[in-house]
This record gives sequence, structure tokens and C-alpha cells, in this order.
Amino acid sequence: MRKKRLIRVIYTLPFLIPLLLFWIIPLILALIISFTDWDYISSDINFVGLYNYIDIFTDPDFVKALSNTFVFGLGTIFATIVLGLIFALLFQKNFTGRKIYQTIIFSPWVTPTVAVSLVWSWIYDPDKGFANFILKTLGLKPLEWLHSSKTAMLGIIIFTVWKSIGWTMLFYLGALERVPKSTYEAAEIDGGNYLGKFIHVTLPLISPTTYFLFIINLITSIQVYDQIQIMTQGGPGGSTTTLLYLYYEKAFQNFQMGSANAVAIVILTIIILLSFMSSYISKRWVHYE
Amino acid sequence: MRIKEKTFLTMKHILLISVGIVFAFPFMWMIFGVFKTNNEIWQEPYKLLPSNWDIGEIIIGLGNIDFSQYMLNSIYVGVFGTLSILLISTLFTYVIVFMKNKNTNFIFAVVLATYMLPSAVTYVPSYVILANLNMLDKLNGMIFSCLANVFSIFYLRQSFLKMSFDYIEAARIDGASHFKILYHVIFPLNKSAFYTVGVLTLVQLYSSYMWPGIILNSQDKYLVSQGLRQFFIQDGAYGMNWSEVMLASTITILPVIIIFILVQKWFVTGIVQDSGVKG
Repeated sequence: MRKKRLIRVIYTLPFLIPLLLFWIIPLILALIISFTDWDYISSDINFVGLYNYIDIFTDPDFVKALSNTFVFGLGTIFATIVLGLIFALLFQKNFTGRKIYQTIIFSPWVTPTVAVSLVWSWIYDPDKGFANFILKTLGLKPLEWLHSSKTAMLGIIIFTVWKSIGWTMLFYLGALERVPKSTYEAAEIDGGNYLGKFIHVTLPLISPTTYFLFIINLITSIQVYDQIQIMTQGGPGGSTTTLLYLYYEKAFQNFQMGSANAVAIVILTIIILLSFMSSYISKRWVHYE
Repeated sequence: MRIKEKTFLTMKHILLISVGIVFAFPFMWMIFGVFKTNNEIWQEPYKLLPSNWDIGEIIIGLGNIDFSQYMLNSIYVGVFGTLSILLISTLFTYVIVFMKNKNTNFIFAVVLATYMLPSAVTYVPSYVILANLNMLDKLNGMIFSCLANVFSIFYLRQSFLKMSFDYIEAARIDGASHFKILYHVIFPLNKSAFYTVGVLTLVQLYSSYMWPGIILNSQDKYLVSQGLRQFFIQDGAYGMNWSEVMLASTITILPVIIIFILVQKWFVTGIVQDSGVKG
């Protein structure tokens, strides 16, 4: 019995130490720092109460970053989930070339963001880029893409969707495979057509996966940073500055640790609120067997 | 009916081929770009294929870009980081699943709660802690700070739970040590989960950008993503040698693509079958 206890300690400690050092303690510290005026250099730290929170919420840059993050999240999550599901449906039955198509659609997800961002920054070049070449070929007006505050976010969203669709598709493929064949047959006997079957049988049965993917995509999209840092640096005119980008600027460029950590706590609160909300919705709508 | 099915299949192929082209285009452009001169890249009308395939120039280019240090750093962090994460997570999950009691249940609840949390929120305090441990600007510091990988616990646990406990019991009755059970029973029965977690962590560590950008500041400690960025900014978008940037990008993605293709069988079936989702 004693030995068993010892094993428990020895086996869990290597995980618990880094968990404590780089997750739990930092979370508590982040909360504490957000109530101070710490600037990283001076040893003089004062508690300033809610000052940092009032400061960021009255700061137009923060409000803009908040709405940018919202637009980015909404755009990428929706497009990724819908398109990912459509691709999974296309791949549901086996046919020649299925594996190759799947690999191509999945490959952007495994490649490092920075490496592919560089090519994409060429694709979005207003004069000679490939995106405008396609628009012109289709007879549409070329866009300024990353050079205009109106379209820069759209460019980032398209890139992110391109990169993350394969991952979503893979999860949906798994979910579709687990839908029992008998439920389809039952629907067929009842005379359901394809669309009817999809809405009444497939969609409810894969709803746990949709819920899971929503949460996962939510967490990643609130933390978007790499592609923005490479492709736009938050610009033009702050149009692609997201919450995390603002956090980075405040913390590691301006050393405003207090207000940076207030932004971090806001990010955290948003995620917690949204996941509570979606778990509430999922209890009513998501179909668990 | 047969004809209808056939046209449907043809339409599906046409759709997928065009989608495939859109998805593969950036990669094709990257690889062809390696062989192009700056003029060729910016010229109009477009030329997809370069005018000459000069392997010799590429070898000279390889000498010019001096990218090997970044590659070695990233491979070191990726391989050793992944192996350590797998080992630590396996031991922890073993206790959580097969030796559980009140305390371990509580610990697991705490771990589960951190699963939803964005790691970026902890960057400032983690930086300070790492500085106090004297591990800033060190590759091992980077690995150490990433060891608590909650996703891998979550995924391995899901897989372990599906095993029959009888195997473990039988091995225990035979007097096998915990380590033997892990090696001879748990590992072979959860191979696809181990491969999945392994590939995902490897890709994540190898390509990570923001966190190493904060803690690794000397150029000889840069990971590939930082190295690439360095390339991109040093001469500005028009001043730089695009074929070298494309060469560096291609070299960066090559190892990941190769690993992905090698373990694809395990990896994809792993996600398709156990997804880590209820239902």
C-alpha cells in the first residue's frame, strides 16, 4: 500500500511540477499583476485596483482589438466548420483518389504557419499577387488585400480557414463514420430524401463533434498571433490588431505589464464565458447517445 | 440511376480537383519559386514553371542562407520535447486511469480545467518564472516550459479508458512491474493514440513561434519560424532574394510533411476512430 502511494507520487510529479510552474502559478500571478502598475524594470510595484481594467475598456485601441478578434473568430469558426463538414461529406464514401485529395486538404494544417505566411504575403500582393490574378480572370475588381484596412482582416481569415479546414474535416470524418448505418436505413424506409436525412439524422448525431470543434476553434482563434505578426503586424491602421497581438505589444514592447495582464484576464474571461454558454446550449441541443 | 451516379462522381472529381489546386497552389509556388530569379517571380503574365531547373544554384543558395542552426534547434526541441512529453504524460495518465483514488481524481479535475485555457494568458508570469530558474534563452528551458501538455493527457486518457482492465489485472497477477505493464501492455494497445499525440506535439513544438520568440533571444537559439522571419525582415519585401526565402520555407516544411506522410496511417485512423469526443 505504501509502495503504491510512492508510485503515484513518482509517476505524477514530472507532470505536476511543470503544470504548477507554467500553468497554475502563472494564472494566479497574471490575475495579481493585472491589479498593479508593474513596468518590469522598477522594483516599485503599487496596487492600483481596477485602474488597468478601466483604462483598457476606455482605450479605443483595445475596443477595436476586441471587435477585430470577434470578427476574426466569427469568420474563421463559421467557415471552417461549414466547409470542413462539406468536405467530410464528400469523402464519406470511398472512391479513387480519395486519400490524395484528403492529404492535400490536410497538408496546410501540419505546415508551420510562418513558412506558409511568407508565400501568402506574396499571393496577396496588390499588383502582382495571385489572389488579384484570380479576381481579374473572373472579371472582378482587384482588391488591396493586406494593404487596405477594409480587406486586411478578410485576407487573414481566408488564410486561416485554408490552414485549419483539414483538421476540422478529419474530426467530422470520424464522426460520420460512427453514425450507425441502421439509422440511415430507418430514415430511408420513412421515405426521407438526402437533405432530409442529413438535417434530421446526420446533423443531430454529429452534434457532439460540432460542439467540440466549436470550442477548439474558439480557443485557437482567440489566440491568433503568428500569421498576423508575419503578414500585417496588426495593421494597416490597427485593422488586424487582435487581443493577443495587443497583449504582446503591451507586455513585451511597452512593458506595461499591468495593463497587458488585464488584457490576458479579459481573454480568459471571454473563453470561460463562451464555453459555459456553449455547454448550456449543448445540453439543450447536442444529442448524446 | 447508374448514369446519374456517374455524373455525380465526375462532378465530385471536378470540384475536388479545383479545390485541390487552390489548396496545393501555395506549396507549388513555394517549390517552383526556389528555382526562379527575382524577376521571374514578379513578372507578368504569370509563369508557374521556372525557366531553368538549376540544382547547382540551389546548392549555392543553401550555402548562402545559413539555415542549418535554426533547423537543428527546431529538430532538437521537437524531438526531445515530444519524447519527454510522451513519457511524462504516459506515467501521469497511467496513475489517473489505473491507480486512481480520491486525490488523483481531484488532480485530474484541475488538469481538465486547464484544458480550455489559452496558454498565451500565462506568458508574462511564465517568462518571469523561467528567468528566475535561469533558463531564459536556452533550448532546454523552452522544452521544460512546454512539458505540461494537457492535450496529450486528455487524448491518452480517452484511449486508455477504452482498454480492457483485464489485461492490466492479468499482468499484475503475473507480478509485472508498473514499468513492464506500461511497456508491454499499454504501449502496444494504444499505439495509434501515441502516434497521434506524438505527431501533433512534434509539429506544434517544431513550428512554434510566439513563445520561443519571447524567451529565445540570441540568434543562435532561434527556432525555424523565428529564423524565417529574420530572413523576411532583414531586406524588406522587395529587396530580398525571394528564391532564398522560398528555399528556406521549403526546407522548413519538408521534415513535417515527411513525418506526416510516414505516420499518416496511424495518425489519421487515430483521430477518425477515437477523436477524443464523447458520442
